[in-house]
Amino acid sequence: MIEIKNVSKSYVKGKKSVENLNLEIKNGEIFGFLGPNGAGKTTTIRMITGILNIDEGDILIDGKSIKREPLEAKKNFGFVPDSPDMFLKLKGIEYLMFMADVYDVPQNKRKEKIEELTKKFGIYNELNNQIQSYSHGMRQKIVICGALLSEPKNWILDEPMTGLDPKSSYDLKEMMREHARSGKTVFFSTHILEVAEKLCDRVGIINKGKLVFVGTFDEMKQKFKENASLEDLFLEITEK
Amino acid sequence: MDKVIKLTKIFLKNSFSNMDARMGISTKSKSKIIVYGLLFLYFAGLIIFLGYNLLDGLIAIHQETIFVGMILFMIFGLVIIQTIFSCINILYFTKDSEYLLPLPLKPYQIILARTNVMLIAEYLIIFLVGFIPLIMYGILTGAGIIYYLTAIFAVILVPILPVLLISIIVMFIMSFAKLTKNRNKFQLFATLLVLAIIIALSISTSGMKQDLTNEEMAQMIVKANGMIELVKGYVPTVDYLMEALTTNSLFTAIVEILKTLGITIVGFILYMVIAQKIYFKGLVGNLFGGGTSSSNKEINQKEYRNSKLYKSYVGKEFKNMARNPVFLMQCLLPAILIPIVMVVVVFAGFNSDGMGLEQITQMLQQMPTNTFFIACIILGVIQFFTMFIYISITAISRDGENAVFMKYIPVSLYKQYMYKIIPNIIMNIVTIIVTLGIAQYLLNLPIMTLIALFVVATIMGIFQSIVMIIVDLKRPKLNWDSEYAVAKQNLNLIFPMLLAMFNIAIMVGLVFLLKDINVYLGIGILGILYIVTTVITNKYLYNKQYELADKII
Repeated sequence: MIEIKNVSKSYVKGKKSVENLNLEIKNGEIFGFLGPNGAGKTTTIRMITGILNIDEGDILIDGKSIKREPLEAKKNFGFVPDSPDMFLKLKGIEYLMFMADVYDVPQNKRKEKIEELTKKFGIYNELNNQIQSYSHGMRQKIVICGALLSEPKNWILDEPMTGLDPKSSYDLKEMMREHARSGKTVFFSTHILEVAEKLCDRVGIINKGKLVFVGTFDEMKQKFKENASLEDLFLEITEK
Repeated sequence: MDKVIKLTKIFLKNSFSNMDARMGISTKSKSKIIVYGLLFLYFAGLIIFLGYNLLDGLIAIHQETIFVGMILFMIFGLVIIQTIFSCINILYFTKDSEYLLPLPLKPYQIILARTNVMLIAEYLIIFLVGFIPLIMYGILTGAGIIYYLTAIFAVILVPILPVLLISIIVMFIMSFAKLTKNRNKFQLFATLLVLAIIIALSISTSGMKQDLTNEEMAQMIVKANGMIELVKGYVPTVDYLMEALTTNSLFTAIVEILKTLGITIVGFILYMVIAQKIYFKGLVGNLFGGGTSSSNKEINQKEYRNSKLYKSYVGKEFKNMARNPVFLMQCLLPAILIPIVMVVVVFAGFNSDGMGLEQITQMLQQMPTNTFFIACIILGVIQFFTMFIYISITAISRDGENAVFMKYIPVSLYKQYMYKIIPNIIMNIVTIIVTLGIAQYLLNLPIMTLIALFVVATIMGIFQSIVMIIVDLKRPKLNWDSEYAVAKQNLNLIFPMLLAMFNIAIMVGLVFLLKDINVYLGIGILGILYIVTTVITNKYLYNKQYELADKII
């Protein structure tokens, strides 16, 4: 479970990039975080993951504060950043083993988990090559594998579908559903409204640093225009 | 032409921009200007000092014109070496190439702008190492205005041909050889080639003695002159410019400059014609040609073995440096190469003096070697060597935008800082062992002194590593285009040098204060001093671990 409580963040004095954000992503839920460019999505994700300090408020990951108990909180999530260009000089297998060491993945589970994930994403045969030789999509896949290796309870994914081929995108969505069905949490940001509509139990829309809507798509339709498309609703909410 | 200028400006801004721009800090801040100014003054002072000594000696024997030839060849050689390293990055591996190709730009505009970037980078260095000595020559020889104008032409014209020549060679290789699909192998090859040249030069020049007799000096000058005569046949522009700079006739100077200009223009036209035919073939092949070679071999079961986090993390740091030629060259190799080059130079120097190495060691060992003064000299030499190990000072910046990884994994930042400085400490120890080995061979020190020196030098190495990661955390360079921005065009690299000077100054001070102190007591005092400073610095790193990471976003 991820709890965001009265969180604010400013980069420039007097101008809040995220203002008084309150959100609760429950166990067993897939939550989509939407918003136009520069709305505060990445800032929020960076605060949840401890990359950015929180000016006001607090964020709890399974009850552990990212401010006060950062290491404990960080053990409770797996994070996929928006750029997959990581550790390009390492071989795929070296990167995954490094992540397994960082997250204390037990010895007996490593081989099985690495094979399962990499075969699912079709990159098993590439593991002996340096990541710099991978395409953008393959890099995205290896980073996702690294984040999921330790079977974290909470998945935090920043634009995870970018660069994925249709099969891998489908597989990832299935994995997200499976993860949520087992009572765990998925929090992801996306620009692809169709993905959010089909996949998410709830969505949050952020605009100019403020959360302007939280709820299901049905609630969104009820609140705004009954027959409008999701695209129209999104535009109406964010252009107000 | 307008587009070429705009493109050049964009490329330059891109390659020199860093974190400051992203953080909204003015790049023209006063502190930056002061640091750049100090850096410039330091190097200018050094060059003037070295150049003056050489020129003064040559004027005394009326052979000063050789100085001009030497400077022009040095510019030519330096530009060749620099371009070998930089041109492949600038022409083929800057991230913006992919975005540039679809733009409505003519091929010649892109090539010209890229070439401008290479040339401007060269001019910045040539101004220091070429123009300043030429001005000095003018002042000391009382040259007229024609000389100074010719010197300006020389500094502008000499770097052009080597830049064009090396670029064309690289373009040919990139277009035809499969090897160059792998940038790392190409750069490693180029690096080793340049290293071999530098070591060969070190050996060939190591025979020079400090106190030369007139006869020996004359022989050396004949040798240097002979070398210039031999090489200038292959580099006509340098030949013409030498003539233009040393003549008293305005007409001769103009004719020689025009000849140089003519050759440069012909070279430039040829370059543009060939480059337009082959550059884009190689560029497209490199951008979309399948990247590095791949292997489909089965994963060895050993790969799945887990290891302690510190081993895994330190191993990752070493792999990242060893597999990246620029980092390999700037971070790892200096620890081994600098002492080795010194060994080669010292040994070759002794032998060519006609004085056997054994005689030298016997002579040195007859002196009182087990003193605090000698101990401080050895520690000073170690400081000098280890300041070229750029592992800790680039520990955060090397990760670039990926450095945020440190902040979201469940490992304390302090631990990660420690894992990142361990390679620096290890490489420092390599340098310490090699240097102490040489010292032992020459001075035959007691084993206790060697152990004491090793311990103190290691503590100083730990202190240096901690200070340098703090500097990198406070001034990280994360938004870079190529590794060169971190390992070369990084102002932070001056800090290891400043710290080494500071440490040497401390030792000089102690030697003066504690003149006849027992060697072990002296080393002990030094050791305690550095243990205390290391503990304080480490405490600061621990207490401020989160604040120090604020710039990693």
